[in-house]
Amino acid sequence: MKTKKKTVKPKKSKIRHKAERFALNQNFEFFSELRSLILKSSVGEKERMIKKVSNLGRIRLAVISGIFLSDPDSINQYDAPADLFIVGDEINRAKLRNFLGSLEAEIGTEIKFTLMDKEEFDYRYSMFDRFVRVLLEGPHEKIVNKIGL
Amino acid sequence: MSKPILDNLFGSKIRVKILKFLYRNFPADFSVREIAQRIKEPPQTTRDELELLRQITVVKHKK
Repeated sequence: MKTKKKTVKPKKSKIRHKAERFALNQNFEFFSELRSLILKSSVGEKERMIKKVSNLGRIRLAVISGIFLSDPDSINQYDAPADLFIVGDEINRAKLRNFLGSLEAEIGTEIKFTLMDKEEFDYRYSMFDRFVRVLLEGPHEKIVNKIGL
Repeated sequence: MSKPILDNLFGSKIRVKILKFLYRNFPADFSVREIAQRIKEPPQTTRDELELLRQITVVKHKK
């Protein structure tokens, strides 16, 4: 009669697995130099983003703020009402979900995203909606602007 | 939205993604699985890259 005796091995690897947690070593010689290099956003990066955003539908306005504009060398990051704000119609939802997913994976953190159609934006803009006002009065950059803002 | 320049300079896209993730979330620590999920890359490659980064003391194990 054969009984399975394979309970020991997987248990062992499970313990090893559990112990492995990784974090940056702050005492690494080039810790801050590497930080500026890694977190610096490049021009090419922005151009690729514009291309991808434009592909999501009829985009009227796309605004980046917050994490995209934060100086990597400063500790306190600007906390904008949205990191990415898009005004547009006929948005392809599947594409959008995909785009946001890979964007977050590339950036390494969650981003605050807001989407409005043109009608809603016009209404909110005309009534000095708080969200729109705070975003557009604070530090931001319009990467797509087809409504003459 | 990757950075081909850094990817090429460092010789690995995944390595750059790991570093970016860890710097964005510093000083938090993560398991290999968590990191792989968040950066959307295979766990085994992620583990190999982390091991390499650990050997040159960029990252460290946390208990």
